[in-house]
Amino acid sequence: MYDWMKKIHMYAGLLSFMAFVVWGVTGIQAVFLPAPGQWQPPPISSQKEFPFEGGGAVDDKKLAKAIYEAANLTMRGGYYNIRRDEAGHLAFTAFSWNGQRDVTYLEEQRRVRVEFRDAGLGDFLSSMHTGHSRRGPPDLQARLWSYYNEFSTWAFLLMVLSGVYLWVATRPGMRWALILSGATTLLTVFLWVATR
Amino acid sequence: MFRLMRNVHLILGLLFFFYAMLFALSSLTIIYRPMLKLRRDSEERTLQVATEKAITPRALALELMQHHEMKGDLRDIKQDGEAIRFVIARPGTQSDVTYWPSTAEAKIKTHREGFLETLVHLHTNHGLWHDFLPANAWSLLSLLGSAGLLLLGVTGIYLWFCHKEERVIGFVILTVGLTYSLTMLVLSRTA
Repeated sequence: MYDWMKKIHMYAGLLSFMAFVVWGVTGIQAVFLPAPGQWQPPPISSQKEFPFEGGGAVDDKKLAKAIYEAANLTMRGGYYNIRRDEAGHLAFTAFSWNGQRDVTYLEEQRRVRVEFRDAGLGDFLSSMHTGHSRRGPPDLQARLWSYYNEFSTWAFLLMVLSGVYLWVATRPGMRWALILSGATTLLTVFLWVATR
Repeated sequence: MFRLMRNVHLILGLLFFFYAMLFALSSLTIIYRPMLKLRRDSEERTLQVATEKAITPRALALELMQHHEMKGDLRDIKQDGEAIRFVIARPGTQSDVTYWPSTAEAKIKTHREGFLETLVHLHTNHGLWHDFLPANAWSLLSLLGSAGLLLLGVTGIYLWFCHKEERVIGFVILTVGLTYSLTMLVLSRTA
């Protein structure tokens, strides 16, 4: 039993190592995120335009959906904030795991302009850490990452539980470990009660 | 050296056991939420709050926190005609408050999540800007736990490498994991 637990603990950790790095970096970065309402999008990094025939009869919501589909943005994850800008153009924001994309339909020119606001590496990793089998961009590479990320979540749970087993099986009477374990239990219970 | 690293690995594991369980369970809750029947209690109540104690939304929120057992961060303040609306939220509990100065009446709708959904709130709780101090404490724990996770990874790699009989198979597993994950990350980043 001990040998098997040790192997599971070791192999699960080695296979999921990269996911743990991504989660660790994301967790550190999350602490320094700005408060709601203070977030500023990154600057425009590039821009592209493509022709698009909107048709006069559709409403803004349907038109935005058609433009979003036609834009075929990579690593996309939905769109929001459909609006008319100061010039009266239909505009909306598309979310990509690589950063925000501002989409504007220049109706008189029958063209769509997409402004790319590429996210930094930290924000990219933060997006990637949320991927799982039911969530993520449709792109194949992102789907494959999401499966790995979900597998790593299970591996992580297994590692935590097997880690406790390995401790208890090898060094059950270690005094400082028992004290440390008791102290973290007390702290967690205190924080939980204070929060609830 | 092996003994030292083994002890460091154990210390980190014990320090962040609950944090690790919180993140593992909340992540699985997020993934399998559609299959879980998560419980959420809601209650509604109406209070009388004198207008002089509700000059600003913050003053009203303070009054509710001091005398009506509410706690959390004040956010989403809106003026809706005569009514003032805002939210007092903490991980797992959210109260939507609507106050009418003309009647001095505050209607409070409180939603209280169950255990798993509260874990999800703690998972997504971030920043050190909260008025609600326990939320800052959870964020700080998140910072330490994330650094701890990285250190657990590094010490874990060292401990594996010290097991000579596991080096070959471990190297194969590590290479497969790194190659697969890094390839997907790079392809996603450059897409």
